[in-house]
Amino acid sequence: MSRPIFELVDNLPTGNMTVRALQALDMIVPGQWENLVGFEATIKAITGETDQEMIQKIGERAIHLYNDTSQGYQRAMWLYQKVDDADKLTATAALGHKIGEKIPFLSFLSRITPKADTAQTVDLGMKLVVEVVAFCQINGIPGDSVGDFVRALAEYSGESLMRMTALICFDGLIPLGPDFLRTTHSLLERLSPADLEKNRIYKDVESLLPGDSPSGKLGFVTQSFDATREWMSSFIADRGISLDRVVGSLKHYVDIADDKLDYLGGFLDLTTNYYEHTGTQTLARSLIQRAVNEL
Amino acid sequence: MDQAQTNQAIQKTPSTSGEALPGGTFNPFFPDDEGAFDVVYAQEKKGFAQAKLKKERKDVAVLSVFDTVSDSATAEKYQQSDETLAGYPSVAVGSNGTAILVGGRFQVQVRSSDDSFGPSDRADWLQKFDLDGLASLP
Repeated sequence: MSRPIFELVDNLPTGNMTVRALQALDMIVPGQWENLVGFEATIKAITGETDQEMIQKIGERAIHLYNDTSQGYQRAMWLYQKVDDADKLTATAALGHKIGEKIPFLSFLSRITPKADTAQTVDLGMKLVVEVVAFCQINGIPGDSVGDFVRALAEYSGESLMRMTALICFDGLIPLGPDFLRTTHSLLERLSPADLEKNRIYKDVESLLPGDSPSGKLGFVTQSFDATREWMSSFIADRGISLDRVVGSLKHYVDIADDKLDYLGGFLDLTTNYYEHTGTQTLARSLIQRAVNEL
Repeated sequence: MDQAQTNQAIQKTPSTSGEALPGGTFNPFFPDDEGAFDVVYAQEKKGFAQAKLKKERKDVAVLSVFDTVSDSATAEKYQQSDETLAGYPSVAVGSNGTAILVGGRFQVQVRSSDDSFGPSDRADWLQKFDLDGLASLP
């Protein structure tokens, strides 16, 4: 069996590049994301309870729900992990800097190859689809309920809203530019099932996607993107998201050279695992919220 | 808490009874939106349904129905309570939750998620569920 949920939550990092990059997005969604770490601390924060015996019972029920594979929580966790499951340098030590110092972006340039726009666009589409499927698994909704997902997006908050903000900024705006919603839409329309099958995330999560053929699954990717495009567009406008603002905020944490911005998307891809990080927090929240209601 | 021991003790056993009713069965008995309050459905799993109660877009409480056929201890705790609400046995669940047992089987709970939403609000919203409808489920 995969690692127990309490271990995943206990081991969430507190100051790595993922955490810093997400903190840089706080100006877009002020106060929405707190890096809640530790299973017991998460139970206390979510339930507001302090009695140790009760916390123990909530924890036991949450672990039980997670361990029961028929409940879908482990599938959601697996999806969040697969999105980020590539060669990563997420450990702070691997970045070769001291706490409190900015992360030296330049020293990574030799390890970063900017992705072709097509590959990045398919990654963006796949990450969005993973969010749809994981959302359905966690909340007990049929896996192809794009409409339910889009309605729920309006209610997204906390770490879930932060994950969508990071998706827009780190996987859309920075690597693909301000016009990424339009270019992604048109590229996905031209994409063939064979193109999709070359994508790493697709290869990993294909079995959990709705659709009984690659072309059916591609249809689901396109449908999911188109259905959420309007929400993303309004979110970008309402929150005043721009490349300058996002890069400006990231500069507080990373030493970014202005003439090397083409590498920033690749750098974030290599050094962060924000899907797994915030996905773990989303799962913990749902499990604990359910567990305390079943006591 | 002793997590490792806990995890080992409850590896992979079913968490929910096969007899539990589908979560969607409970949705019609949840309260409707009212004034500044919106009821937003969240989780719906076998034997469990949960919604958020929002006031002017802010989360103020969590509303849920749990089919205690999956965990008899949940229903048994009501035997120690003398309190009732709307004619059903009632208990406090920690310091932020109030729950009642309907039809001897379905636990309906309201939990505060904001300080502005106190015990009397929880009691009010518990009574906004269609409790008698829920009690009549087969």
